[in-house]
Amino acid sequence: MLSMAQRMHSTLIGRITVFGLSLANQRQEVARGHLVAESVERVRSSCRKGGGEPERRRDAETKERDAYAKFAGAPLKVHKITNPWRSPTGSLPALKTVEEGSISQPSKIIIHLRKQKYNADYDLSAKEGADTLAFVSLLEEKLLPALVYTLWIDSKNYVDITRCWYAEHIPFPLNFLLPNRIHGQQLEKLRLLRGDVALEPGEQLEKELYHDAYECMTLLSQRLGSQKFFFGDTPSSLDAYVFGHLAPLLKIKLPNGKLHQHLSSLKNLEKFCSNILLLYFPSDARETPNRKVHVQSDSSDFDSEPHLRRNQILSVLFAVGTMLGYAVLTGIIKVKRKSLPLKNSSHGEEDDDDED
Amino acid sequence: MSLAAEAFVSQIAAAEPWPENATLYQPLKEDQILLSDSASSLAVQTFLRMCGLPVEVSCRANAEYMSPSGKVPFIHVGNQVVSELGPIVQFTKAKGHALSDGLDDVQRAEMKAYMELVNNMLLTAELYIQWCDDSTSAEISRPRYSSPYSWPLNHVLAYQKQWEVRRKMNAIGWSGKSLEQVYEDVSQCCQALSQRLGTQPFFFNKQPTELDALVFGHLFTILTTQLTNDELAEKVKSYTNLLSFCHRIEQTYFKEPEREGQSSRHSKGALP
Repeated sequence: MLSMAQRMHSTLIGRITVFGLSLANQRQEVARGHLVAESVERVRSSCRKGGGEPERRRDAETKERDAYAKFAGAPLKVHKITNPWRSPTGSLPALKTVEEGSISQPSKIIIHLRKQKYNADYDLSAKEGADTLAFVSLLEEKLLPALVYTLWIDSKNYVDITRCWYAEHIPFPLNFLLPNRIHGQQLEKLRLLRGDVALEPGEQLEKELYHDAYECMTLLSQRLGSQKFFFGDTPSSLDAYVFGHLAPLLKIKLPNGKLHQHLSSLKNLEKFCSNILLLYFPSDARETPNRKVHVQSDSSDFDSEPHLRRNQILSVLFAVGTMLGYAVLTGIIKVKRKSLPLKNSSHGEEDDDDED
Repeated sequence: MSLAAEAFVSQIAAAEPWPENATLYQPLKEDQILLSDSASSLAVQTFLRMCGLPVEVSCRANAEYMSPSGKVPFIHVGNQVVSELGPIVQFTKAKGHALSDGLDDVQRAEMKAYMELVNNMLLTAELYIQWCDDSTSAEISRPRYSSPYSWPLNHVLAYQKQWEVRRKMNAIGWSGKSLEQVYEDVSQCCQALSQRLGTQPFFFNKQPTELDALVFGHLFTILTTQLTNDELAEKVKSYTNLLSFCHRIEQTYFKEPEREGQSSRHSKGALP
């Protein structure tokens, strides 16, 4: 459960971007140079695929088993790293391109992809394009603060889930620094946005943020209606944005899950998310019912087990060694040497010699 | 406003009809008010006129400090004080005057989304241009903002406000943007609005809604305000249907000779 949820909790913006890629791949067939996308995940051996060939479809893709695996077959190599300092721009997600160096902001990433002719919005009318912009603003103003609050600022969620995940997967010494730093940054940002310098996480703030988020989700649900995607039968960038924001809410099991409850009550949004999950992230979707059988979960256990075992053995050895050392030094345990008599006799002979 | 306060205000609001002596407070029109505040104020005034509710505009130097949320404009109705367009719309709705009742669910969702778009892009761009662009900040924003105060308070307040706005821009990721990119964003926003408006008289059906009021407030102010250069106004002017939209609303709701929010040194007067 945790590993599945962890995968879903890869930076949601990274998810938007890479999702956008898969949509675009369906529509355009242009061979481009190579793009590298990175996201926060466990370190894996990344699958090296060559530069873009147009006929590469998402189901013929990479051998990687993660959500972003299929995008690597397109002219995209996905490197999963846990250390944000190793990314080309210093933060995640990051896109490293051959032509233009590294890009970090998601909107710029999407613009770059569009310039490379990977455009999921190709078929949209002018009005639909305008609607996309408007709904993206709505999401960012109303839903994103609540999402950030529920993951990073709500004390129960942060301490129980978010901080643990990050601490487990980020290498030493960042695992002590980074989660707290992100927590502080998000709180500061929220304070600035609300214009209240003395804002503290609490009931009142939570109610206000969640109220806005519920309204936003209800509006999205009303706009979606009974359609499969927001603009007809094919997905667009708005679908990617909405999915990126809603999927973590749906999949991550948080102790304080009010947003999840509200989202579950909006059946069409839930269906929308699971639909996209099924179509574009089949490995993740398969994982939910049958965790043990899937290779993913095996590898995850495998990954964590030797670590655990090793830690246990090492700590036991260390404890035993310390106790033994202490015991010997203080004389509780005396070490008897068998060679003592022999030494005495030879020593005695020497003495005799010396005396003489 | 907190949720409990909102519910309380709505309840009280529903009890009484709209009085004759409702007042709207904003900073001094001639010398103090800036682009973003002027836009918000005009949006509220337009909305109230569209509802047919009389309100008197009163200019005060300390309007920002009087406001319950720290933002202008705010209205004083009966014994309640409500600031910003969103809460004011809800307040008038509690009093029984609403413009968006005729919309269905999908349209209401779109309306809210577009209002957020305007707030997110246009308002933020205005704030950026005013406070983060050094030349505009030094020549226009700081002198105007601090004009009612004497030395050294004027310097302190102006720089404090600038610092606050710059921090906010940093938090939302706009501090890395150049002026050109901001103009580009404004252009994109106007393009979206223009495409949504199309050839209709208003954004939704034949009836104006709060979205129309908000868009008019911002666009009219941009078009009639003199900044260090005209590039912002030019971006808006390139969309002819938005221009005619502004003309139409001006003609319909601001017909009287003494038009509020339009005659000030800062403003150029009439629409081009």
